Amino acid sequence: MSLIDRVDDASSKRGVKRAWLILVVLIFLVLIILPSVYVLFEAVSQWDLISGVASDSGKMAVIWGAVGNSFSIAFIVTIIDVIVGIPMAWLMVRKNFPGKRYVDTLIDMPLAFPTAALGFSVAIFWGVPQGLDVPGLGIVLSPYVLVILLHLIFTYPYMVRTLSGILEQLDPNFETAGMTLGASRFTAVRTITLPLFRAGLVTGFILCFARSLSETGGTYIALSLIGKQSTFFTGPTFISELKHQAGSQAAMPELILISVLLIVFALLMLFVAKMMMDKVKIPWSKVWPKFERRISRGLAVKMRNGLSSLFLALFIIIPSFFIFSFLLIDGPLPDMAGLFKAMGISFLVAGAATAFDIVFGIPMALYIARNKDKSLGKALDMLVNVPLIIPTTALGLSLFLFWSSASLPGLVLVILGHISFTYPLVVRNVIGAVEEVDPSYEEIAKTLGAKPFQAFRKVLLPVIQSSVLAGSILAFTRSLGETGATIAIDPTINTVPIYIVNLINKFTEFNNPDYAYQAAVASITLTAVCFVLMLAVKYATRRKLGGLRHD
Amino acid sequence: MPHIRLENITMRFGDITAVSDIDLEIRDGEYVTILGPSGCGKTTLIKIVAGILRPTDGKIFVDGKDVTKVPLEDRDTGYVFQNIALFPHMTIRGNAEYGPKVHSVEEGQAESTADEYLRLVDMLDKAGHFPKELSGGDQQKAALARALASGSRMLMLDEPLSALDARVRMELRYEIRRIVKRLGITVLHVTHDQEEAMSVSDRIILMRKGRIFETGTPLDMYRSPKSIFAAYFIGETNLMECTVESKRKGGGVILRLRNDVPVNVSKSKANVGEIAILSVRPEHVYTATDGLKAHVRDVVFMGTYWRVRTEAESQDYVDYNIPADSQVPEIGEEVYLVFNKKASRVFKRPKEGLTEAIKLE
Ligand SMILES: Nc1ncnc2c1ncn2[C@@H]1O[C@H](COP(=O)(O)OP(=O)(O)OP(=O)(O)O)[C@@H](O)[C@H]1O
Ligand SMILES: [Mg+2]
Repeated sequence: MSLIDRVDDASSKRGVKRAWLILVVLIFLVLIILPSVYVLFEAVSQWDLISGVASDSGKMAVIWGAVGNSFSIAFIVTIIDVIVGIPMAWLMVRKNFPGKRYVDTLIDMPLAFPTAALGFSVAIFWGVPQGLDVPGLGIVLSPYVLVILLHLIFTYPYMVRTLSGILEQLDPNFETAGMTLGASRFTAVRTITLPLFRAGLVTGFILCFARSLSETGGTYIALSLIGKQSTFFTGPTFISELKHQAGSQAAMPELILISVLLIVFALLMLFVAKMMMDKVKIPWSKVWPKFERRISRGLAVKMRNGLSSLFLALFIIIPSFFIFSFLLIDGPLPDMAGLFKAMGISFLVAGAATAFDIVFGIPMALYIARNKDKSLGKALDMLVNVPLIIPTTALGLSLFLFWSSASLPGLVLVILGHISFTYPLVVRNVIGAVEEVDPSYEEIAKTLGAKPFQAFRKVLLPVIQSSVLAGSILAFTRSLGETGATIAIDPTINTVPIYIVNLINKFTEFNNPDYAYQAAVASITLTAVCFVLMLAVKYATRRKLGGLRHD
Repeated sequence: MPHIRLENITMRFGDITAVSDIDLEIRDGEYVTILGPSGCGKTTLIKIVAGILRPTDGKIFVDGKDVTKVPLEDRDTGYVFQNIALFPHMTIRGNAEYGPKVHSVEEGQAESTADEYLRLVDMLDKAGHFPKELSGGDQQKAALARALASGSRMLMLDEPLSALDARVRMELRYEIRRIVKRLGITVLHVTHDQEEAMSVSDRIILMRKGRIFETGTPLDMYRSPKSIFAAYFIGETNLMECTVESKRKGGGVILRLRNDVPVNVSKSKANVGEIAILSVRPEHVYTATDGLKAHVRDVVFMGTYWRVRTEAESQDYVDYNIPADSQVPEIGEEVYLVFNKKASRVFKRPKEGLTEAIKLE
């Protein structure tokens, strides 16, 4: 009797099923949720120390400034994403035009770039003041605007993808019906399509907001390159700067305080967004037929399409790829052995985290997808989002404090940290796929005598496997590109993003452009690796569509 | 009231030609149904007329004006979708008001127009409901009111009744006809259901493989179809291979079925000596003491009558009907069949063969 047969047999016993569910939920709560928010408890127990910081108005001004920057930047970025994302998503779903396939790939492109590399690329594209010898536009920007320009790049694909995903599922007949009644295209989209995908808008909003709030490495690098890393902070860069300067317990109360603020406001934001989903109405009842008709036709349409494309090119694509201009100039290569060792560590962390996500995430996703009406299912569904919305730097610090008495090796802690923020990616993807599969397939298999695990392996898994793969590769690349969590947990674990950040730190310290050059080469290498993985996602998901539909 | 004319309409999707070379004229206020097997291009055709699709080739005229390039929202052509497509986030009244509103009608006026049409379809008391709170039949009535309230003088109906259950379907189809006739609206109604087509339309257009195969009034299509396909698709019929033996001056024709069995009919499109196809509807087959010898193979109760399937000595299967309350023959029993001479049709044998001629794709 093989192992799989044994698992098949065991899976039909009630007790075994129950024990497995309990294990999966426990692991989720103890290994993922609790460490992510532990800092809140720590704050309470260390209140004396923290109140010391809280009463220091000088320190508080910096902390509030950093938190304020984080949230206002995330908000502005997300609003811009909504404004430019809606027409782009609509264009991608409802219109056919030559070269659409390539535009589709281009939109996803920034997801393949580790944010550290993007931070580099964006900073040199939009200009560096103190004459770093690289081809730049030389525009001196305020750090605030620079960070917004950077964050737009990696949030934009999330918005467009989320919106087009929902739009694809909306019956185009609604819009067409509106137009047969005499509504212009713009009126029909605004009054019929938009209100119907409010849920998608909120999801896209949360994703972009969380992503912007969380980003550390790219922001830190971009700020370093314009020499503002120790005068202008976002929440996460404040944490990494403190870690970098002190590297010890010294600044712990500040770290705890800012993490708590970030976590509390992020969760509050999630809550408000969920409320908005039910309450806020997009104005649809009023129409301005003449005006809307005018902007639905001819020149107005061309301008809208033109501006959408221009935005994609100028603000997203070109700044992302600008780092490759380093390939045109000569410079000292980085220490390749060190880079490859960092690559090895990155892969080890990402691989271990992803493997964990698959083994314990799929059962969780199955449970949530099939038990949405039960209170446990609902609660888990909400909780899974928590690590997604918490800024990873705060999450990392929290996790570090949680395990501090256990004296685990740094590498293990970093892996645990990466599990926390990648786990929701796998779970969400699988939930989405499972919800689309009619549960009766599995039931039919069971009426034919299949054991539960057998039914899962033979019936469900083949259908959802491409989503599992897509989720896994997403988790893997996200882990490869992560900076903030790693810095907060243990900055001596030398993953590639840390390696790059260290080079940048040396560059600012010694003002030696060679280090910047080496950082660029390391970034390009990491980008290339992530890019290949991203192509694999595309291939995997396209094959899935090819199998289910004809087009 | 508009008069629609299509000239040489062709629609291609990549390599697929969904509709080819359609010429068609629809009179003011005419109620026309488009009938045809699945995939023959019915939906594509009415979407072109409505302006939802722009044809690859050809022109559309409404009241003599070329509207081929007029954008969808200016066509003023109502369209009712098979899946109804009421806006789920608006009430029934909100749906019905939508047309007038986007036509710049004032708020109050829009509402009274909406209510007027909701009253017409007898939905006024449910005006405050959301679509999902209504039955399928009510939803379709609301969709009709919405289309009419926008001021359309032409109405395209794409299988509007196919998702409803039999009883509602039957009531609603007369309801729709009554309303549009009262308003004098020109209607193109796509359907799969030949009974529906027969009972509501002024004229039927039978389509096949993207082309118009035959048109005519329901009665003409039933009584004297011009093709075997029409005879087979509209109503039911027994098809038997035969040869024309002789034609008498008085008009009678003698046919020979297989195994040399003789049959008399009134007239024939095929000439003497030719191989032909005899088409006799089950309701025109009777039993007698003498005639075409056949054995009963199956008897099925059809709800209001019995359908008897026999195997004739000519090796053809021949069906006939008997009233519900009559004596049912036993399986294997020997019966003698005669055909109503006047109602029997003789077609020339199609070049592509009989099976090909009645194939549904
Ligand atoms: N948007 C499209 N792209 C590609 N092919 C299409 C498209 N719309 C229709 N077709 C093809 O054109 C042909 C006619 O389709 P159409 O929907 O008009 O048929 P139909 O008569 O309405 O069929 P049904 O009775 O099944 O509704 C079919 O072969 C269909 O596959
Ligand atoms: Mg159709």
